[in-house]
Amino acid sequence: MKSIVVGSLESSDCLITISPHHTLEIVIESPVYQSFGKQIESVIQNILNAFSLTHVKVYCQDKGALDYTIEARLITAIERFKEAENES
Amino acid sequence: MSRSYLFIPGDVPRMLQNLDVFEADAVIIDFEDSVAEHEKDEARNLTRTFLKRHNFDTPSIYVRINSTDVFEHCQKDIQALEDLPIEGIVLPKASLASLKVLEKLLPRPINIIGILETPEVFFEVLTLAKYPWMKGFILGAEDLTKTLNISRTVAGSELLYARSQMIFAAAAASIEAIDTPYTDVKNIPGLITDIQTSKALGATAKASIHPNHVRYINEYFTPSQVEINEAKRIVVMAEKNASMRFSLDGKMIDKPVIERAHNLLEKAKKYGVL
Repeated sequence: MKSIVVGSLESSDCLITISPHHTLEIVIESPVYQSFGKQIESVIQNILNAFSLTHVKVYCQDKGALDYTIEARLITAIERFKEAENES
Repeated sequence: MSRSYLFIPGDVPRMLQNLDVFEADAVIIDFEDSVAEHEKDEARNLTRTFLKRHNFDTPSIYVRINSTDVFEHCQKDIQALEDLPIEGIVLPKASLASLKVLEKLLPRPINIIGILETPEVFFEVLTLAKYPWMKGFILGAEDLTKTLNISRTVAGSELLYARSQMIFAAAAASIEAIDTPYTDVKNIPGLITDIQTSKALGATAKASIHPNHVRYINEYFTPSQVEINEAKRIVVMAEKNASMRFSLDGKMIDKPVIERAHNLLEKAKKYGVL
């Protein structure tokens, strides 16, 4: 199954890529990683938990997105990911 | 009662999180024309997570859903809006038939602003205006002129019939008559002419697709100091004059003029100029 990409690299947004993986992996690139890396990771982890996803790789390219944006982009990515999974 | 309604795309975070700095009285988060077909789900989720965390007293928040013609999108839009703190929804291609479809989808009564953008709707506009959940109309001139195969002009004579129909029906039902956005974004003199035309016809507000237009709309839909002064004189004279009919500066003043003066002062108070 191919990767799903949601969001953008515009200011205040983030680009989320989700793909199947043998384990759970979260990769974050952010200009504010030093200050907010843990917070971003926690937002992503909470959403993954809510959807009971344990075998995916989430790559988050952050451009200063607030929590609600990261949450929304990831939810959309997961919904599309699950839809693609059901179709394959 | 609002002066300005600003459309912002529902899938752009930097617009959503700044919606209270544009100084519009009302913001319409858009799920329809400004959101690409393959990004509708992104707009729904983004708006949902945003409004779950942010509650606004001002501006009033509306969401333009997709029309009932695209049923699946319309249905998903309404589901996404459930339990969000919004003032109402904006319905594109409003018609009596579309309201029947919408009624079945909505879990509870909600304020609706209908966009009048098809020639057909002008034959049922008064019935539509009196629909209990209808709080206002927006004239959708772009789609309407496209269907009529005519061009929009600065003078706006091609919109005279549609504007007047909307304004008369809205006034008869005591709902808002919101004029169409002015789409030549950088043409400010053209915008001002357009605002003055719609206001002179009786529009109560104007929609906009660019934040830079909001301050002009607010300015022209706020009572001017000259209007306020005249209204104050009329009210004072009316209080002194038991007959409710008198002359002021050679003009005949009677009950409708006095009521209009009271309404103007109320509006001026609301917008902080009195």
